[in-house]
Amino acid sequence: MVEAFAVASGKGGTGKTTSTLALGMALAGEYDVTVVDADTGMANLLFHAGLDDVEVTLHDLLVEGTGTDVSEAVYERFGMSVVPCGTSLAAFEAADPARLRAVVADLAADADVILLDSPAALGSKSAVLPVVLADRIVVVLQPTIPSLSDGLKVQEYARSYGSETAGVLFNRVRDDVGIERVAERAERYFGGETLATVPESDAVRAARRAGKPLLAHAPDSAAADAYREAAARIDVRAGDEGAVADRFRSAVVPDTP
Amino acid sequence: MNLPRGDLIRSRVVRDPGVALEAALDAELTGYVVLEPQDALLLGGETRGVLTFEDGVPVLAYDAASDRGGPDALADLALSGPYRADLYELPGGALAEAHDTPELRVPPRMPAEELADAADLAARTRAAAPAERAVEDAAHASAVEAFLADEERIAALRERAREEARTRAEEWGLGGELRDGP
Repeated sequence: MVEAFAVASGKGGTGKTTSTLALGMALAGEYDVTVVDADTGMANLLFHAGLDDVEVTLHDLLVEGTGTDVSEAVYERFGMSVVPCGTSLAAFEAADPARLRAVVADLAADADVILLDSPAALGSKSAVLPVVLADRIVVVLQPTIPSLSDGLKVQEYARSYGSETAGVLFNRVRDDVGIERVAERAERYFGGETLATVPESDAVRAARRAGKPLLAHAPDSAAADAYREAAARIDVRAGDEGAVADRFRSAVVPDTP
Repeated sequence: MNLPRGDLIRSRVVRDPGVALEAALDAELTGYVVLEPQDALLLGGETRGVLTFEDGVPVLAYDAASDRGGPDALADLALSGPYRADLYELPGGALAEAHDTPELRVPPRMPAEELADAADLAARTRAAAPAERAVEDAAHASAVEAFLADEERIAALRERAREEARTRAEEWGLGGELRDGP
């Protein structure tokens, strides 16, 4: 079985990468999880996962003719398979985003859950592709109007491509913002339930500085608890990995200038 | 909202209102900023918001199109940019009477958070605010709630996103991936 989720938000600063790794680690207790940094233009997952010195990344898989095998960019860390992306602008420019589809198809063979850390933008083909490829999306929000607006926008994009919302995660929540009422009202517009509200936390910044996912660096923090709660609420849908791989491989994404 | 006429000290089209809020904070502006979203079509054309400031810190918010004030006005104004932002300066104390309008007041950090999603600017603004204004923060959620209560506006936002998704899918050669086909 395998299901691919895009962890998306539409804008930066909501803590998508922290959330992707935290959900990945929490889900890894029950599933074989592969986490992919699909934010190929502004990659940062490698810094969060202590992988900033690795040689081979997703970029090498997206450039035609390098002969790099997918397995070379997969690193076993924190109980998950992690596919980081490099930060070189030249590599980003050489990369063909459409090849992401084939990469995900290969990764699907060995995973129950694939989490795609998605770009904080919708303005280009490479930015929108993770949402196109995913079965469902997890929307990471902050309880502010701009964040909710962008979250609604990314949800509509995803729906246009047939990717429904698995749930909503409110992140970086301060205790004075009346989150219960906001979450209740937001649920009317977002598909799926509110998976959790993650409190604003110094532990998150400390984990980032340490180059470790939150659940490895501060497993007893309130934020880590919230992520485990969120993961428990995601009902991973069993899909046949062969069928998923075929679906990814068969659809043709033509190149655009 | 009746304000004394101030001196125009800066007029710009800005990508996001945070630029104007930051300029007001840095200049320790006492006066007001008139914000005009350039993308106001969603609300039928005209939206003009006014924010007043005391020593760089926002005090009142008012939206002329909806005739709403306070957090509701911020919800009305929180569109995607760009905005024209005009900063007007007034002598110290000129706004004392206007500022005695509780229904139009907004917590110091709220404009930065709700119009610009700028947490750092919000924190700086809050730090610059007089201590007695700390109690106003409790009202914070009301702007977000007002936004989420406006079903018509959210429906329009979603409709526009759907259209945009479709148009761009064609541009990017992803039309065949659309649920309903190209």
